[in-house]
Amino acid sequence: MSHVDEGTLHAYLDGELPSGERAALESHVAQCEACRARVNEERALVERASTLLRAVRPLEHPVPPFEQIRRAPKRSPWRVRTSFAWAASIVLAVGLGYYIAGAGVYRRASQMAEPTNVAVQNRPADKAAAPSAPSAPSARDEARPSTRARQEVAERRRLTNEREESGDTQNRAPLAGIVATATPAPVIDSSAMAKVIVRGAAPAASMQRQDAADTWPRIDRQTAKTILGTDPVGLPDIATLQIRRSPDKKVVVVEQALDSRTVIQLFQQPNTNAAGYAFSEGARGGRLARFVGNLRVEIGGPVSVDSLNRLLELVRPLP
Amino acid sequence: MPDDIAEVYRNTYPALVRFLYRKVWDAERAEDLAQEAFARALVHKPDNTRGWLFVVAANMARDEARRAARERRHLTLLKSEPDAVHSAPEEEIDANTQRTRVRAALDQLTPRDREALLLWDSGLSYDEIAAQTGLARGAIGTTLARARRRLAEAYDAAQEGGQHVARG
Repeated sequence: MSHVDEGTLHAYLDGELPSGERAALESHVAQCEACRARVNEERALVERASTLLRAVRPLEHPVPPFEQIRRAPKRSPWRVRTSFAWAASIVLAVGLGYYIAGAGVYRRASQMAEPTNVAVQNRPADKAAAPSAPSAPSARDEARPSTRARQEVAERRRLTNEREESGDTQNRAPLAGIVATATPAPVIDSSAMAKVIVRGAAPAASMQRQDAADTWPRIDRQTAKTILGTDPVGLPDIATLQIRRSPDKKVVVVEQALDSRTVIQLFQQPNTNAAGYAFSEGARGGRLARFVGNLRVEIGGPVSVDSLNRLLELVRPLP
Repeated sequence: MPDDIAEVYRNTYPALVRFLYRKVWDAERAEDLAQEAFARALVHKPDNTRGWLFVVAANMARDEARRAARERRHLTLLKSEPDAVHSAPEEEIDANTQRTRVRAALDQLTPRDREALLLWDSGLSYDEIAAQTGLARGAIGTTLARARRRLAEAYDAAQEGGQHVARG
Protein backbone atom coordinates (compact mmCIF):
# COMPACT_ATOMS: atom_id res chain seq x y z
CA MET A 1 0.00 0.00 0.00
CA SER A 2 1.27 3.46 -0.88
CA HIS A 3 1.21 6.31 1.60
CA VAL A 4 -2.14 7.07 3.06
CA ASP A 5 -4.09 9.99 1.64
CA GLU A 6 -5.68 12.58 3.82
CA GLY A 7 -9.27 11.61 3.16
CA THR A 8 -8.65 7.99 4.03
CA LEU A 9 -6.89 9.06 7.19
CA HIS A 10 -9.81 11.14 8.33
CA ALA A 11 -12.23 8.36 7.52
CA TYR A 12 -10.03 6.05 9.54
CA LEU A 13 -9.90 8.43 12.49
CA ASP A 14 -13.63 8.92 12.26
CA GLY A 15 -14.11 5.16 12.47
CA GLU A 16 -15.73 5.19 9.03
CA LEU A 17 -13.23 3.20 7.04
CA PRO A 18 -14.55 -0.18 5.83
CA SER A 19 -12.82 -2.99 7.68
CA GLY A 20 -10.75 -4.21 4.72
CA GLU A 21 -9.27 -0.79 4.09
CA ARG A 22 -8.76 -0.25 7.74
CA ALA A 23 -6.67 -3.38 8.09
CA ALA A 24 -4.56 -2.36 5.09
CA LEU A 25 -4.05 1.11 6.50
CA GLU A 26 -3.07 -0.17 9.90
CA SER A 27 -0.54 -2.58 8.54
CA HIS A 28 0.96 0.16 6.38
CA VAL A 29 1.12 2.63 9.22
CA ALA A 30 2.80 0.03 11.43
CA GLN A 31 5.72 0.01 9.00
CA CYS A 32 5.77 3.61 7.82
CA GLU A 33 7.03 6.21 10.21
CA ALA A 34 6.01 9.12 8.00
CA CYS A 35 2.44 7.88 7.94
CA ARG A 36 2.43 7.34 11.69
CA ALA A 37 3.37 10.94 12.12
CA ARG A 38 0.59 11.94 9.73
CA VAL A 39 -1.92 9.93 11.70
CA ASN A 40 -1.00 11.84 14.82
CA GLU A 41 -1.11 15.18 13.02
CA GLU A 42 -4.49 14.49 11.54
CA ARG A 43 -5.80 13.19 14.82
CA ALA A 44 -4.80 16.47 16.42
CA LEU A 45 -6.58 18.33 13.64
CA VAL A 46 -9.75 16.29 14.10
CA GLU A 47 -9.69 17.06 17.80
CA ARG A 48 -8.93 20.70 17.19
CA ALA A 49 -11.88 21.08 14.86
CA SER A 50 -14.25 19.44 17.26
CA THR A 51 -12.96 21.61 20.10
CA LEU A 52 -13.58 24.71 18.04
CA LEU A 53 -17.06 23.52 17.21
CA ARG A 54 -17.77 23.02 20.88
CA ALA A 55 -17.43 26.76 21.29
CA VAL A 56 -20.44 27.21 19.08
CA ARG A 57 -22.85 24.92 20.83
CA PRO A 58 -26.11 26.32 22.06
CA LEU A 59 -26.87 25.93 25.72
CA GLU A 60 -28.46 22.56 25.94
CA HIS A 61 -31.90 22.48 27.41
CA PRO A 62 -33.68 19.34 28.42
CA VAL A 63 -35.39 17.73 25.48
CA PRO A 64 -39.02 18.84 25.58
CA PRO A 65 -41.52 16.03 25.97
CA PHE A 66 -42.26 14.28 22.74
CA GLU A 67 -45.98 14.66 23.34
CA GLN A 68 -45.57 18.37 22.89
CA ILE A 69 -44.37 17.79 19.37
CA ARG A 70 -47.03 15.21 18.76
CA ARG A 71 -49.77 17.69 19.41
CA ALA A 72 -48.39 20.35 17.17
CA PRO A 73 -47.99 18.75 13.75
CA LYS A 74 -51.02 20.40 12.25
CA ARG A 75 -49.24 23.65 12.52
CA SER A 76 -46.31 22.56 10.49
CA PRO A 77 -47.47 23.01 6.94
CA TRP A 78 -47.97 26.69 7.50
CA ARG A 79 -44.38 27.48 8.07
CA VAL A 80 -43.16 25.90 4.94
CA ARG A 81 -42.83 28.69 2.51
CA THR A 82 -42.73 32.41 2.63
CA SER A 83 -44.30 32.51 -0.79
CA PHE A 84 -47.19 30.55 0.61
CA ALA A 85 -47.46 33.00 3.44
CA TRP A 86 -47.82 35.76 0.93
CA ALA A 87 -50.55 33.96 -0.88
CA ALA A 88 -52.23 33.20 2.41
CA SER A 89 -52.13 36.81 3.52
CA ILE A 90 -54.00 37.77 0.39
CA VAL A 91 -56.62 35.14 1.08
CA LEU A 92 -56.70 36.44 4.62
CA ALA A 93 -57.40 39.94 3.46
CA VAL A 94 -60.33 38.72 1.40
CA GLY A 95 -61.57 36.40 4.10
CA LEU A 96 -61.35 39.11 6.71
CA GLY A 97 -63.92 41.12 4.85
CA TYR A 98 -66.41 38.30 5.13
CA TYR A 99 -65.60 37.83 8.74
CA ILE A 100 -66.11 41.46 9.59
CA ALA A 101 -69.37 41.42 7.73
CA GLY A 102 -70.50 38.57 9.93
CA ALA A 103 -69.08 39.98 13.11
CA GLY A 104 -72.21 41.69 14.29
CA VAL A 105 -73.65 38.53 15.63
CA TYR A 106 -70.78 38.18 18.02
CA ARG A 107 -70.57 41.82 18.89
CA ARG A 108 -74.01 41.68 20.34
CA ALA A 109 -72.64 39.11 22.69
CA SER A 110 -70.10 41.43 24.09
CA GLN A 111 -71.55 42.80 27.31
CA MET A 112 -70.86 40.53 30.21
CA ALA A 113 -68.64 40.27 33.18
CA GLU A 114 -66.43 37.33 34.07
CA PRO A 115 -65.06 35.13 32.75
CA THR A 116 -62.88 37.27 30.64
CA ASN A 117 -61.69 36.48 27.22
CA VAL A 118 -58.57 37.60 25.59
CA ALA A 119 -57.08 37.52 22.19
CA VAL A 120 -55.33 39.61 19.67
CA GLN A 121 -56.58 40.90 16.44
CA ASN A 122 -55.10 39.62 13.28
CA ARG A 123 -51.53 40.32 14.29
CA PRO A 124 -49.77 38.85 17.29
CA ALA A 125 -48.32 41.05 19.94
CA ASP A 126 -46.21 43.50 18.10
CA LYS A 127 -43.13 44.28 20.10
CA ALA A 128 -43.01 47.75 18.69
CA ALA A 129 -46.52 48.39 19.86
CA ALA A 130 -46.15 46.91 23.30
CA PRO A 131 -44.47 49.81 25.11
CA SER A 132 -47.37 52.06 24.26
CA ALA A 133 -49.90 49.68 25.72
CA PRO A 134 -51.78 51.37 28.50
CA SER A 135 -50.63 49.86 31.73
CA ALA A 136 -49.40 46.79 29.97
CA PRO A 137 -47.90 44.63 32.64
CA SER A 138 -44.45 43.25 32.14
CA ALA A 139 -43.81 39.58 32.16
CA ARG A 140 -42.61 39.80 35.69
CA ASP A 141 -45.64 41.72 36.82
CA GLU A 142 -47.74 39.06 35.36
CA ALA A 143 -46.04 36.41 37.34
CA ARG A 144 -47.16 37.70 40.68
CA PRO A 145 -50.62 38.44 41.90
CA SER A 146 -51.57 41.99 42.44
CA THR A 147 -54.16 43.59 44.59
CA ARG A 148 -54.58 46.24 41.98
CA ALA A 149 -55.91 43.59 39.75
CA ARG A 150 -59.55 44.35 40.09
CA GLN A 151 -59.11 48.06 39.69
CA GLU A 152 -57.06 47.54 36.61
CA VAL A 153 -59.58 45.22 35.17
CA ALA A 154 -62.32 47.70 35.75
CA GLU A 155 -60.31 50.50 34.27
CA ARG A 156 -59.39 48.47 31.29
CA ARG A 157 -62.91 47.41 30.73
CA ARG A 158 -63.91 51.02 30.69
CA LEU A 159 -61.23 51.83 28.14
CA THR A 160 -62.22 48.88 26.11
CA ASN A 161 -65.82 49.70 25.99
CA GLU A 162 -64.93 53.12 24.77
CA ARG A 163 -62.72 51.63 22.17
CA GLU A 164 -65.35 49.23 21.11
CA GLU A 165 -67.90 51.94 20.80
CA SER A 166 -65.51 53.87 18.66
CA GLY A 167 -65.79 50.98 16.24
CA ASP A 168 -62.47 49.33 15.91
CA THR A 169 -63.20 47.41 12.77
CA GLN A 170 -59.95 45.59 12.62
CA ASN A 171 -61.09 43.11 15.12
CA ARG A 172 -62.86 40.05 14.00
CA ALA A 173 -65.35 37.59 15.35
CA PRO A 174 -65.57 35.60 17.43
CA LEU A 175 -62.56 37.20 19.02
CA ALA A 176 -63.67 40.56 17.85
CA GLY A 177 -63.12 43.57 19.94
CA ILE A 178 -61.19 41.81 22.53
CA VAL A 179 -58.70 42.90 25.00
CA ALA A 180 -55.99 41.54 26.41
CA THR A 181 -53.92 42.93 28.74
CA ALA A 182 -53.06 40.21 30.95
CA THR A 183 -55.05 40.72 33.98
CA PRO A 184 -52.50 40.30 36.58
CA ALA A 185 -51.34 37.23 37.59
CA PRO A 186 -53.24 34.26 38.07
CA VAL A 187 -51.64 31.96 40.53
CA ILE A 188 -51.51 28.76 38.65
CA ASP A 189 -52.29 25.68 40.62
CA SER A 190 -51.59 22.98 38.16
CA SER A 191 -47.90 22.40 37.88
CA ALA A 192 -48.27 21.33 34.30
CA MET A 193 -49.85 24.62 33.45
CA ALA A 194 -47.37 26.54 35.53
CA LYS A 195 -44.66 25.32 33.25
CA VAL A 196 -46.52 26.72 30.36
CA ILE A 197 -47.30 30.12 31.74
CA VAL A 198 -43.86 31.47 31.95
CA ARG A 199 -42.62 34.07 29.64
CA GLY A 200 -45.19 36.76 29.34
CA ALA A 201 -44.68 39.15 26.53
CA ALA A 202 -46.25 42.50 27.12
CA PRO A 203 -49.58 42.29 25.40
CA ALA A 204 -50.18 44.43 22.41
CA ALA A 205 -51.92 47.72 22.78
CA SER A 206 -54.33 46.72 20.10
CA MET A 207 -55.96 44.00 22.11
CA GLN A 208 -59.29 44.57 23.66
CA ARG A 209 -61.54 42.87 26.08
CA GLN A 210 -64.64 41.10 25.15
CA ASP A 211 -66.67 38.95 27.37
CA ALA A 212 -68.49 36.21 25.65
CA ALA A 213 -71.99 36.77 26.78
CA ASP A 214 -74.61 34.54 28.21
CA THR A 215 -76.35 34.89 24.92
CA TRP A 216 -74.17 31.88 24.23
CA PRO A 217 -76.23 29.11 25.81
CA ARG A 218 -74.71 26.33 27.78
CA ILE A 219 -74.67 23.01 26.06
CA ASP A 220 -73.59 19.53 27.02
CA ARG A 221 -70.78 17.47 25.63
CA GLN A 222 -73.00 15.55 23.28
CA THR A 223 -74.43 18.70 21.73
CA ALA A 224 -70.95 20.08 21.35
CA LYS A 225 -69.93 16.92 19.61
CA THR A 226 -72.89 17.17 17.27
CA ILE A 227 -72.05 20.75 16.33
CA LEU A 228 -68.37 20.03 15.84
CA GLY A 229 -68.73 16.62 14.31
CA THR A 230 -66.06 15.47 16.70
CA ASP A 231 -65.12 15.67 20.35
CA PRO A 232 -64.53 19.19 21.61
CA VAL A 233 -60.95 20.03 22.50
CA GLY A 234 -59.48 21.53 25.62
CA LEU A 235 -56.52 21.61 27.94
CA PRO A 236 -55.75 18.25 29.43
CA ASP A 237 -56.14 17.75 33.16
CA ILE A 238 -57.90 21.06 33.71
CA ALA A 239 -61.42 21.32 34.97
CA THR A 240 -63.95 22.26 32.34
CA LEU A 241 -66.35 24.88 33.71
CA GLN A 242 -68.83 24.82 30.93
CA ILE A 243 -69.33 24.39 27.24
CA ARG A 244 -71.37 26.89 25.31
CA ARG A 245 -72.28 27.58 21.73
CA SER A 246 -72.65 30.66 19.61
CA PRO A 247 -76.16 31.85 18.78
CA ASP A 248 -75.73 30.63 15.21
CA LYS A 249 -74.74 27.17 16.50
CA LYS A 250 -71.50 27.18 14.57
CA VAL A 251 -68.95 27.91 17.24
CA VAL A 252 -68.45 26.04 20.48
CA VAL A 253 -66.53 27.53 23.36
CA VAL A 254 -65.01 25.37 26.05
CA GLU A 255 -64.25 27.29 29.21
CA GLN A 256 -61.67 25.94 31.58
CA ALA A 257 -60.36 27.35 34.84
CA LEU A 258 -56.64 27.48 35.45
CA ASP A 259 -57.52 28.87 38.84
CA SER A 260 -60.45 30.66 40.40
CA ARG A 261 -59.85 33.84 38.46
CA THR A 262 -58.31 32.63 35.27
CA VAL A 263 -60.64 31.22 32.72
CA ILE A 264 -59.32 30.07 29.40
CA GLN A 265 -61.73 29.98 26.51
CA LEU A 266 -61.27 27.73 23.55
CA PHE A 267 -63.40 28.71 20.60
CA GLN A 268 -63.72 25.90 18.16
CA GLN A 269 -65.50 25.16 14.97
CA PRO A 270 -65.24 22.61 12.21
CA ASN A 271 -62.65 23.70 9.74
CA THR A 272 -64.56 24.32 6.56
CA ASN A 273 -63.50 27.53 4.89
CA ALA A 274 -60.28 28.53 3.24
CA ALA A 275 -60.31 31.81 5.08
CA GLY A 276 -59.85 29.89 8.28
CA TYR A 277 -56.62 28.47 7.01
CA ALA A 278 -55.45 31.83 5.92
CA PHE A 279 -56.17 33.33 9.28
CA SER A 280 -54.18 30.66 10.98
CA GLU A 281 -51.23 31.52 8.81
CA GLY A 282 -51.70 35.21 9.44
CA ALA A 283 -51.76 34.71 13.17
CA ARG A 284 -48.89 32.32 13.10
CA GLY A 285 -46.51 34.42 15.10
CA GLY A 286 -49.02 34.75 17.91
CA ARG A 287 -50.43 31.36 17.22
CA LEU A 288 -53.75 32.20 18.68
CA ALA A 289 -55.51 30.02 16.22
CA ARG A 290 -54.60 26.48 15.45
CA PHE A 291 -56.00 23.38 13.88
CA VAL A 292 -56.54 20.42 16.09
CA GLY A 293 -57.70 17.51 14.04
CA ASN A 294 -60.59 18.83 12.03
CA LEU A 295 -61.23 21.76 14.32
CA ARG A 296 -60.07 25.27 14.05
CA VAL A 297 -59.38 26.43 17.60
CA GLU A 298 -58.86 29.93 18.93
CA ILE A 299 -57.78 30.62 22.44
CA GLY A 300 -58.55 33.45 24.81
CA GLY A 301 -57.83 34.12 28.44
CA PRO A 302 -56.44 36.70 30.83
CA VAL A 303 -52.82 35.70 30.47
CA SER A 304 -50.08 36.88 28.19
CA VAL A 305 -50.12 36.16 24.51
CA ASP A 306 -47.10 34.03 24.97
CA SER A 307 -48.82 31.92 27.56
CA LEU A 308 -51.86 31.60 25.36
CA ASN A 309 -49.64 30.33 22.61
CA ARG A 310 -48.20 27.71 24.82
CA LEU A 311 -51.55 26.68 26.17
CA LEU A 312 -52.86 26.43 22.66
CA GLU A 313 -50.17 23.92 21.86
CA LEU A 314 -51.40 21.73 24.68
CA VAL A 315 -54.93 21.57 23.39
CA ARG A 316 -56.22 18.15 22.53
CA PRO A 317 -59.54 16.35 22.33
CA LEU A 318 -61.19 16.21 25.74
CA PRO A 319 -61.28 12.71 27.16
CA MET B 1 -46.56 4.38 11.41
CA PRO B 2 -43.50 6.39 12.26
CA ASP B 3 -41.61 3.37 13.50
CA ASP B 4 -39.61 4.69 16.40
CA ILE B 5 -39.91 8.42 15.92
CA ALA B 6 -40.16 9.05 19.64
CA GLU B 7 -36.89 7.22 20.00
CA VAL B 8 -35.32 9.17 17.15
CA TYR B 9 -36.60 12.27 18.83
CA ARG B 10 -34.86 11.53 22.11
CA ASN B 11 -31.61 10.62 20.40
CA THR B 12 -31.50 13.23 17.72
CA TYR B 13 -33.16 16.32 19.12
CA PRO B 14 -30.07 17.84 20.77
CA ALA B 15 -27.95 17.18 17.69
CA LEU B 16 -30.57 18.72 15.46
CA VAL B 17 -30.76 21.81 17.67
CA ARG B 18 -26.99 22.11 17.55
CA PHE B 19 -26.97 21.74 13.79
CA LEU B 20 -29.63 24.39 13.42
CA TYR B 21 -28.02 26.71 15.92
CA ARG B 22 -24.89 26.83 13.82
CA LYS B 23 -26.96 27.92 10.91
CA VAL B 24 -29.37 30.40 12.43
CA TRP B 25 -27.22 31.45 15.40
CA ASP B 26 -30.18 31.81 17.70
CA ALA B 27 -30.64 29.08 20.30
CA GLU B 28 -34.34 29.61 20.78
CA ARG B 29 -35.03 29.73 17.10
CA ALA B 30 -32.97 26.60 16.63
CA GLU B 31 -35.16 24.78 19.12
CA ASP B 32 -38.30 26.02 17.45
CA LEU B 33 -37.10 24.85 14.09
CA ALA B 34 -36.02 21.49 15.46
CA GLN B 35 -39.46 20.94 16.94
CA GLU B 36 -40.98 22.03 13.71
CA ALA B 37 -38.89 19.49 11.84
CA PHE B 38 -40.06 16.72 14.15
CA ALA B 39 -43.63 17.86 13.81
CA ARG B 40 -43.28 17.54 10.07
CA ALA B 41 -41.71 14.14 10.42
CA LEU B 42 -44.82 13.03 12.27
CA VAL B 43 -46.90 14.07 9.33
CA HIS B 44 -44.65 12.77 6.58
CA LYS B 45 -43.47 9.59 8.27
CA PRO B 46 -40.27 9.35 6.23
CA ASP B 47 -38.43 6.05 5.91
CA ASN B 48 -35.16 7.33 7.22
CA THR B 49 -36.36 9.73 9.86
CA ARG B 50 -32.99 10.94 11.03
CA GLY B 51 -31.61 11.71 7.60
CA TRP B 52 -34.90 13.26 6.58
CA LEU B 53 -34.88 15.51 9.63
CA PHE B 54 -31.50 16.96 8.77
CA VAL B 55 -32.53 17.59 5.20
CA VAL B 56 -35.65 19.40 6.34
CA ALA B 57 -33.71 21.27 9.01
CA ALA B 58 -31.13 22.41 6.47
CA ASN B 59 -33.89 23.71 4.23
CA MET B 60 -35.62 25.50 7.06
CA ALA B 61 -32.35 27.04 8.17
CA ARG B 62 -31.72 28.30 4.67
CA ASP B 63 -35.12 29.95 4.49
CA GLU B 64 -34.54 31.32 7.94
CA ALA B 65 -31.15 32.74 6.99
CA ARG B 66 -32.64 34.56 4.05
CA ARG B 67 -35.33 36.01 6.22
CA ALA B 68 -32.85 36.96 8.92
CA ALA B 69 -30.62 38.67 6.38
CA ARG B 70 -33.55 40.77 5.30
CA GLU B 71 -34.38 41.69 8.86
CA ARG B 72 -30.80 42.47 9.71
CA ARG B 73 -30.68 45.07 7.03
CA HIS B 74 -33.51 46.85 8.76
CA LEU B 75 -32.17 46.32 12.23
CA THR B 76 -28.75 47.74 11.56
CA LEU B 77 -30.44 50.95 10.64
CA LEU B 78 -32.24 51.11 13.95
CA LYS B 79 -29.79 49.72 16.40
CA SER B 80 -26.41 51.01 17.45
CA GLU B 81 -25.02 48.01 19.32
CA PRO B 82 -26.12 48.62 22.88
CA ASP B 83 -25.63 44.96 23.72
CA ALA B 84 -21.87 44.71 23.70
CA VAL B 85 -21.46 47.77 25.87
CA HIS B 86 -22.82 46.70 29.21
CA SER B 87 -20.35 44.91 31.40
CA ALA B 88 -20.17 41.14 31.21
CA PRO B 89 -18.03 38.76 33.22
CA GLU B 90 -14.64 38.19 31.68
CA GLU B 91 -15.12 34.55 30.88
CA GLU B 92 -18.37 35.39 29.22
CA ILE B 93 -16.59 37.86 27.01
CA ASP B 94 -14.03 35.20 26.21
CA ALA B 95 -16.72 32.72 25.35
CA ASN B 96 -18.45 35.30 23.22
CA THR B 97 -15.25 36.24 21.46
CA GLN B 98 -14.45 32.65 20.78
CA ARG B 99 -17.92 31.96 19.52
CA THR B 100 -17.71 34.92 17.20
CA ARG B 101 -14.35 33.76 15.88
CA VAL B 102 -15.42 30.21 15.31
CA ARG B 103 -18.53 31.43 13.62
CA ALA B 104 -16.46 33.69 11.38
CA ALA B 105 -14.13 30.80 10.63
CA LEU B 106 -17.07 28.57 9.71
CA ASP B 107 -18.27 31.27 7.37
CA GLN B 108 -15.04 30.97 5.46
CA LEU B 109 -15.61 27.34 4.55
CA THR B 110 -17.29 26.50 1.29
CA PRO B 111 -20.95 25.65 1.82
CA ARG B 112 -20.33 22.01 0.99
CA ASP B 113 -17.39 21.64 3.37
CA ARG B 114 -19.28 23.42 6.12
CA GLU B 115 -22.35 21.28 5.63
CA ALA B 116 -20.36 18.07 5.82
CA LEU B 117 -18.54 19.21 8.92
CA LEU B 118 -21.69 20.32 10.73
CA LEU B 119 -23.48 17.12 9.85
CA TRP B 120 -20.57 15.04 11.08
CA ASP B 121 -20.43 17.02 14.27
CA SER B 122 -24.16 16.43 14.70
CA GLY B 123 -23.53 12.72 14.75
CA LEU B 124 -24.37 11.71 11.20
CA SER B 125 -22.40 8.86 9.64
CA TYR B 126 -20.47 9.12 6.38
CA ASP B 127 -23.30 7.28 4.67
CA GLU B 128 -25.85 9.72 5.97
CA ILE B 129 -23.71 12.71 5.06
CA ALA B 130 -23.23 11.30 1.57
CA ALA B 131 -26.97 10.82 1.16
CA GLN B 132 -27.66 14.32 2.34
CA THR B 133 -24.98 16.24 0.49
CA GLY B 134 -24.92 14.21 -2.69
CA LEU B 135 -21.20 13.62 -2.27
CA ALA B 136 -19.79 10.18 -2.94
CA ARG B 137 -19.20 8.29 0.26
CA GLY B 138 -15.54 7.95 -0.64
CA ALA B 139 -15.25 11.73 -0.82
CA ILE B 140 -16.53 12.44 2.66
CA GLY B 141 -13.18 11.83 4.37
CA THR B 142 -11.44 14.23 2.03
CA THR B 143 -14.18 16.80 2.42
CA LEU B 144 -14.03 16.62 6.20
CA ALA B 145 -10.24 16.78 6.20
CA ARG B 146 -10.36 19.94 4.12
CA ALA B 147 -13.14 21.44 6.21
CA ARG B 148 -11.31 20.81 9.48
CA ARG B 149 -8.07 22.21 8.16
CA ARG B 150 -9.71 25.35 6.83
CA LEU B 151 -11.66 25.86 10.01
CA ALA B 152 -8.52 25.70 12.13
CA GLU B 153 -6.58 27.90 9.74
CA ALA B 154 -9.30 30.52 9.49
CA TYR B 155 -9.66 30.58 13.25
CA ASP B 156 -5.93 30.95 13.81
CA ALA B 157 -5.65 33.65 11.17
CA ALA B 158 -8.36 35.68 12.87
CA GLN B 159 -6.69 35.10 16.22
CA GLU B 160 -3.35 36.39 14.99
CA GLY B 161 -4.98 39.30 13.25
CA GLY B 162 -6.72 40.20 16.49
CA GLN B 163 -3.53 40.05 18.45
CA HIS B 164 -1.67 42.22 16.01
CA VAL B 165 -4.32 44.81 16.38
CA ALA B 166 -4.32 44.49 20.13
CA ARG B 167 -0.59 44.93 20.37
CA GLY B 168 -0.70 47.85 18.00
